[in-house]
Amino acid sequence: MLHLGPRARVAFAACWIAGQATLVLTAARRADHAFGFRMFPEASTMRVHLLRELRAGRGPVPAPRGEWGARDAAGQLRHFSWRDRVRDPVLASLDARVFASYGAGTQLARLQRALDDVADHVPEDDETVRLRADVTIWYDGHDPTTVTLESHTRRVSP
Amino acid sequence: MESLRRWRDEVGDGYVLGAVRVVLGLLLFANALRALRQLVVGGYFGDVFHWPFLPEALLPSRTAYTAIVVAQLLLAVLVVAGHRARGALFASALLGTYVLLCDRLQFHHNRWELFCEALLLSLAPCDRSFTIAGAATGSRFGPLWAARLAAAQVSLVYVASGGSKLLDPDWRDGQVILERFRLNAHHALASGVPQRAIEWFSRPEVTSALAKVAIATELFLALGLWSRHTRVFALWWGLWFHLTIEATSRVEGFTWLTLACYALFVTPDVRARRFFFDSARVKGRAAARIVGWLDWFARFEVKPWATDDVRKGHAVVVVRRDGTHATGVRALAMVARCTPLLFPLWAPLALVASFTKGGEASAVA
Repeated sequence: MLHLGPRARVAFAACWIAGQATLVLTAARRADHAFGFRMFPEASTMRVHLLRELRAGRGPVPAPRGEWGARDAAGQLRHFSWRDRVRDPVLASLDARVFASYGAGTQLARLQRALDDVADHVPEDDETVRLRADVTIWYDGHDPTTVTLESHTRRVSP
Repeated sequence: MESLRRWRDEVGDGYVLGAVRVVLGLLLFANALRALRQLVVGGYFGDVFHWPFLPEALLPSRTAYTAIVVAQLLLAVLVVAGHRARGALFASALLGTYVLLCDRLQFHHNRWELFCEALLLSLAPCDRSFTIAGAATGSRFGPLWAARLAAAQVSLVYVASGGSKLLDPDWRDGQVILERFRLNAHHALASGVPQRAIEWFSRPEVTSALAKVAIATELFLALGLWSRHTRVFALWWGLWFHLTIEATSRVEGFTWLTLACYALFVTPDVRARRFFFDSARVKGRAAARIVGWLDWFARFEVKPWATDDVRKGHAVVVVRRDGTHATGVRALAMVARCTPLLFPLWAPLALVASFTKGGEASAVA
């Protein structure tokens, strides 16, 4: 099975090189530059503060270290934690300046999806309409810039 | 067209490919072990936030993922042992790539490169040496086109990495290295690196120079590994380049993967050089034994010799491919050039040897 004839060798090698070249040249189109072999692309750092926007236009209120309490539909107070869903060492480190592994762009793309994911997995939180992340980024040690990301809107009791 | 035909039809001794297979097997085992540990300690990735390339419906269940990880471990054992090694390499590459596609949070360049090299090596005659599962059957000779493609994959990584740095102004100017030094200065201090050394390396003009050296190195290696005139120096320079990265950064198994793949550039033959030693002298016998231990790529035919005019007074004499003789420091440099463990010493030894007057003996003497 693993023995290729002369023609198949050329075809395989051509496909392999074309495939790898395509992956490398299109890496910029992927948020995390996956398959692009861009080693040590940046030395950026970032700090993420998690906030919640509440129903009736209240908030945003901070969720220090990704922990917050909110009432469910029955009025029972419950505890929620960002880290229950997000285990990635960079994304799980809230309120602290951390190294943005694979670049700030990669981490922002991941953070956006993490916000949506957590928003989808706290069904008992009947207060939070949207999760928000205020992100301070130091691109390669330059002056900080701030980016705000928001999860999609959740459905809660009126 | 002729070079394409030569690449396609080249046949050679696959002895060294067996050594590359063993290292890849160990790296695949380490990778699977890490996944298993993560599964046991951190739980199944699908139970928490993940970001797949594939549609969610194509992700494995917890049970299936556990089976995949266990299968990866067993396949890695087969790769190392040399039992059905090529099939095991091929399956490892496919399973590994599938797992990478299941969660891009777990994507790392070194893991992708490992699976690429595993797949390409599975198409080369890598299962006919370094087997502990019984003697390999059949000839070690086989088609080398896939081994050459695996070597080309190494160059592709250098081009992609060096090229992306070259196009990035922060990288070119040394800002990325400068910031990395700043961020890791406290680790370096804690490891005993002198404060003055850290301060010197953190100067913008120094990091700017280092950045240019790093970019030039990667681009040089991409081409230099292919030329007969530059290959040995490229391998030596690349070795130190990767050892420096290994000492200063966390790159999982990338250093060892790349260094293992460097063996793909070794000439595919065995015992093309001869190492003669004086069996009457302790020094000669000791040198022969050390070379026997370290000659993992079977570069030398090690033999005792009867004293003649050339070898008189020498504990060892190395006969090169072209029939010329080397003794003393030159012989030592030759041994360093051909043995992986001593290879880091090759360039300084060769430099010292170039200043010595003796050490070259006529092949016809």
